[in-house]
Amino acid sequence: MITDRNKKLSYLSLLLPAFLIYITIIIFPVIVSFGLSFTDWRHFRLKGFVGIQNYIEIFQDPIFQIALKNNIKIMLLSVFGQIPLGIILAYLLFRKWVRGSQFFEMMIFLPITISSIVVALLWNRVFSPVGIYTAFIRTVTDNPDYVVKIFESEQHAIVPVLFVLLWQHTSLYMIIFIANLQRIPKSVFEAATIDGASESMIIRKIVLPALTGVIYTCSVLAIAGSLKSFDLVFAMTGGGPVHYTYVMALYLYQQTFTFNNYGYGSAVSIIIVILSVGLITLFQRFFEKVSKKYN
Amino acid sequence: MKNNLRERKISIHTIAFSYTFLILFTLVTLFPIIWMSYSSFKSMGEIMLHPIGLPKDFTLDNYKKCIEYGNMDYAFLNSIIYSAISTLLIVLLSLQAGFALTKFPYKSRKVYGALFTTGLLITVNSVITPLFIMETNTGLYNTYLGVILPYVAFGLPMAVLIASSYIRGIPNALIEAAIIDGATYQQIFWKIILIVSTPVIATISVLSFLGSWNEFLMVFTLTSGDDMRSLPVTINSFAGRLNQDYGLQFAALVIGTIPMFIFYLIAHNALIQGFGEGALKE
Repeated sequence: MITDRNKKLSYLSLLLPAFLIYITIIIFPVIVSFGLSFTDWRHFRLKGFVGIQNYIEIFQDPIFQIALKNNIKIMLLSVFGQIPLGIILAYLLFRKWVRGSQFFEMMIFLPITISSIVVALLWNRVFSPVGIYTAFIRTVTDNPDYVVKIFESEQHAIVPVLFVLLWQHTSLYMIIFIANLQRIPKSVFEAATIDGASESMIIRKIVLPALTGVIYTCSVLAIAGSLKSFDLVFAMTGGGPVHYTYVMALYLYQQTFTFNNYGYGSAVSIIIVILSVGLITLFQRFFEKVSKKYN
Repeated sequence: MKNNLRERKISIHTIAFSYTFLILFTLVTLFPIIWMSYSSFKSMGEIMLHPIGLPKDFTLDNYKKCIEYGNMDYAFLNSIIYSAISTLLIVLLSLQAGFALTKFPYKSRKVYGALFTTGLLITVNSVITPLFIMETNTGLYNTYLGVILPYVAFGLPMAVLIASSYIRGIPNALIEAAIIDGATYQQIFWKIILIVSTPVIATISVLSFLGSWNEFLMVFTLTSGDDMRSLPVTINSFAGRLNQDYGLQFAALVIGTIPMFIFYLIAHNALIQGFGEGALKE
């Protein structure tokens, strides 16, 4: 028979391997980061405590401001672009109005499996002078000398990056929404159709209420995910031209690994964590208010 | 009869819209990938002259160069090592933790569970600076273990969540019966939990493998030698955006795409199910 002591030991021996790896590699560094963010530590030499100096300098740096703006654009695109588009795709496939919906689903989901680095380099070429986008515009506008100029604009250089994010990640939300649509009992749809409900009625009264919870979860994931974009920007534009396509993660990377400015880099990482948690809390409040209003 | 009723309700406009929307979306999704694939068989000169056309002078030179100078064989092997070992560890550790968090009566499990969930919101770039410092100080920098351990740590929060929600559904009677028969908890884990959890093992494996295979930032910052790099990092340094040999670049990108494409063909059901259901249970 198993004694209480043995039971407790079994519990810990099952739990602790996972927990210790997780705590040492994720939670502990976040705490260390927090401490480091108040120091001036460059090139492996700790120069001392500087209070919130790093944070002040970060927010005054115009490059960080560009990066922050770009991250906000990415976040807005994820929440108001990828999620609605994902819902539309999921609904069209779920209702099976087209033949071969399985084929469409599989093809649309394909980019998820491709590494962001490959995606970034591929789209860098798509917009290059020998790319298909350039060739397409040249044919349509009958202007054989057309080149993509959008990257020269400080305001709009991020747009191609946003488009690629939409291209690669929308299908993830599509798949999640399809899985949740399939949980709605078929009889609900049949009853609604027999009662003569129009399609827009079905969407408003059955589909959207059933998806509310998962739309919320997806939005949280999208907000958290939008702050970590690194690979795509790093390989597609490198933050350039000038600093127009910088994102916070790239700024962090550059401070830490190019300038070896660890204290400053840590402060950037803490800002990212605080923004992530803060935005999600804000969104939670907003979501509770909205769902109260409609119930 | 019911089907007829449903079909009559749907207007031709809805159907036309659905087809247009889906076909357009699929074309935009696939065309760049197809373009990349056939362009990899074109010479640099042909790409410059006819960027869109199919290859006229079919050549394998780009691939030969990639294999000869690109370190692709090393990179491929490293990717396999990183992904396979971390997947194995994530599966094993997350199931053990999931078992502990759902089938033991201790209050502390709530705290552990909440801490794991917090991990879902923490991204790699918010720990990469201290992680780099820690690894350079402990000698883990530029080692296999130094990449695999962070992969495991970042894979665990989601995996523990998926494992817990599945193991919670395993009947307690099964475990109690085994205890009466004199089994220890370790035996129960290996002989019951692990066997019953096959579906969720598939989900966690597929998600972890894909995630580790495509990861970039950690291998890029926590290793330095060419012989330690994974496929995405090698492709970026060998055929990055500053590389002007387009044919060579396309070939490198195709090499980077093929392994996961094959993986997708084999495991697409598990993947779609994993992303759709495993990841987001309400």
